[in-house]
Amino acid sequence: MKDQLKEALIAGDAGTVNALTEALLASGVPAREILDEALLPGMEVVGERMRSGDCFIPEVLLSARTMQGALDLLRPHMAAGESTSAGTVVIGTVEGDLHDIGKNLVAMLLQGAGFTVVNLGTGVTSAQFVSAVREHSPAILGMSALLTTTLPHMGETIAALKAAGLRESVKVMVGGAPVTQSWADELGADGYGANAGLAVERAKGLVG
Amino acid sequence: MTAVPKLEAGEGEGPQRQPVAPLRSDFAVRFHSEAQIEPLHEATLALLERTGVKYQSAKALAILKKAGAKVDEGSDLVRLPRRLVEETLALAPRSFVLGSRDGAADLDLASGYTYGTTDGCGVEVVDWRTGERRTSTKADLADITRMQDCLGSISFWWPTVSAGDCGETAQLHEIEAGWNNTTKHLMGMVQGEKLARHAVEMAALVAGGAAELRRRPVMSDLIGTVSPLVNDKDGIEAGLVFAEAGIPVCYVTMPNLGTTAPATKAGAFVVGAAEIVSAAVLHELAAPGAPVWGSIMQIYADPRTALTMTTPLDDRCRFLATELLHSFGLPALGAFGGTDAEMPGTWQAGVETMLQLLQVPLDGCETYTGIGLANTYNLFTPEKLVLDDDLYHRARHAFLDIPMDEDALALGVIDAVGPGGHFLAQPHTRRHMRDAVARAVTQEIDADGQHYRDALEVARERALDILRHYEPEQPLDDDARRELRRIVGDADRELRG
Repeated sequence: MKDQLKEALIAGDAGTVNALTEALLASGVPAREILDEALLPGMEVVGERMRSGDCFIPEVLLSARTMQGALDLLRPHMAAGESTSAGTVVIGTVEGDLHDIGKNLVAMLLQGAGFTVVNLGTGVTSAQFVSAVREHSPAILGMSALLTTTLPHMGETIAALKAAGLRESVKVMVGGAPVTQSWADELGADGYGANAGLAVERAKGLVG
Repeated sequence: MTAVPKLEAGEGEGPQRQPVAPLRSDFAVRFHSEAQIEPLHEATLALLERTGVKYQSAKALAILKKAGAKVDEGSDLVRLPRRLVEETLALAPRSFVLGSRDGAADLDLASGYTYGTTDGCGVEVVDWRTGERRTSTKADLADITRMQDCLGSISFWWPTVSAGDCGETAQLHEIEAGWNNTTKHLMGMVQGEKLARHAVEMAALVAGGAAELRRRPVMSDLIGTVSPLVNDKDGIEAGLVFAEAGIPVCYVTMPNLGTTAPATKAGAFVVGAAEIVSAAVLHELAAPGAPVWGSIMQIYADPRTALTMTTPLDDRCRFLATELLHSFGLPALGAFGGTDAEMPGTWQAGVETMLQLLQVPLDGCETYTGIGLANTYNLFTPEKLVLDDDLYHRARHAFLDIPMDEDALALGVIDAVGPGGHFLAQPHTRRHMRDAVARAVTQEIDADGQHYRDALEVARERALDILRHYEPEQPLDDDARRELRRIVGDADRELRG
């Protein structure tokens, strides 16, 4: 049944995924086992297919959303101290920039990969980023920008994190069309993904 | 939604045959009005009547004389009265069907599509196994034919390269290599009466008899005239054999501005058209109603070196060839897709090929040649054919209709998303996304997922994949193969000693 669940998740079949998850829970399979042996391996396959070009973003998104539905079913059954989450990510588009499709895509794929995502939206100031890091204690802070004119705000936020004494507590990831690996290196960011799929891979690497 | 199964490297069935995808040309542009074409048409008729054309064949001269042409037997010069030309050309069918061996890819010249083949007939290859540049062989042509069979841009076969290792009977070895490796229609390059008779025997064998060959010809032949104004013996005597057998013949001329033709485009066209019309007239006199078509491939001599070139800055001749041939009631074979670039993968090779391919659907020629060669139709490299196939499909897509039905207009999904949202999660998006972006050879992502791969490298890889793994779906059966071998062997003994 776990194999069926994994395949249904890969296919993005929410009805089947929910039914199988509930059936497994009812038959006494621990939530942790369902997560580790069916759902997460399923999303691994989706990620691999996305990288190889066999699976397209809208399909990945469907699997990611289906994964979210299954996690909602598992959450009440997790043992005390256990979490369905791979970690928390605070994410937002920097100040002065209203572009959010790329950032939302990363957020959705991160959720699909098991992360808890706090999406701050667009036009997020350095102060708002710092405040969100303080509030949510995320493993990762993700910043996005589409405009070359708003890129410098990424550096300002990192400086603000340092000033607040929070820089060491969180990994910083940056992304967006004009962002490059060398820009990320110059900023002193911990991670960069050239596209949404690679960003999720990098995020997993940072918390792993 | 069903996830697409992932094929591991080295797994799976190898490259699959692509459906033949001709270029839509039923809305071709008329670049010249009838009034503009008329002077050329009239000049061609006047030239045939006043200057005349040479036919270097006693058989041809006898046919022409009997029909009322003014034959000067001492010089082979024949003057064709206007009325004779017009009445005889009226016998030629305006369109016909070029048959495929398995009947699955027959080409109807009245369909509103333009059917294409490769360039030909090259003389050199870069060997895909060794990288060596050398004279082309029959084995090379067999390999290239498998690529022709596989690629959807290729509607019919033409010997992309010559069988340079087969001596005087090379043209028969070429069609043997063709039929052994493709089911598509074959356009041979057979010249000379004796070779033509062997070719007819081969074609009848493949077609299933002489009557079936006539009904649905699985072979045609391309025969060159000699500019200026000469129908040479080997060409027209092969043409007469094919006319009798019902094998369609395309007569082709390559008037070279300033050397074998006047230095003006119009003058060169008149010379070229006169050659094609003169050959077609003989063809129809010999076998009224026999399928015949024509090609005027205007080329240029570099005035500094006299070297042939095909794509100067001012290359506006191409449409006129089709319009002029159509004015005589003949289908046309256009010349598009070649390049003077020595090697593939260069700016020149891409630009020249693409500019020409984009003209095909506008031109309205029923057939055209072709893609796949570099160095002015001389050098074959496998990656060039794959790169050109990619350019071909860019040109093909440029002229396809855009669906505009209710589902395509997508008002429902636009309304559901509304201003400021996104379409990524919509079932409508998932339903259409695989067709939304037709990926080109330039859109292969590299292993790190960050960059697009070098197109030349991708093309080489795809070409090698076909060459290593692709086999035609319906190979010729062993009996037919043996019989073709016998016929070619007979010709070898007869003509090569």
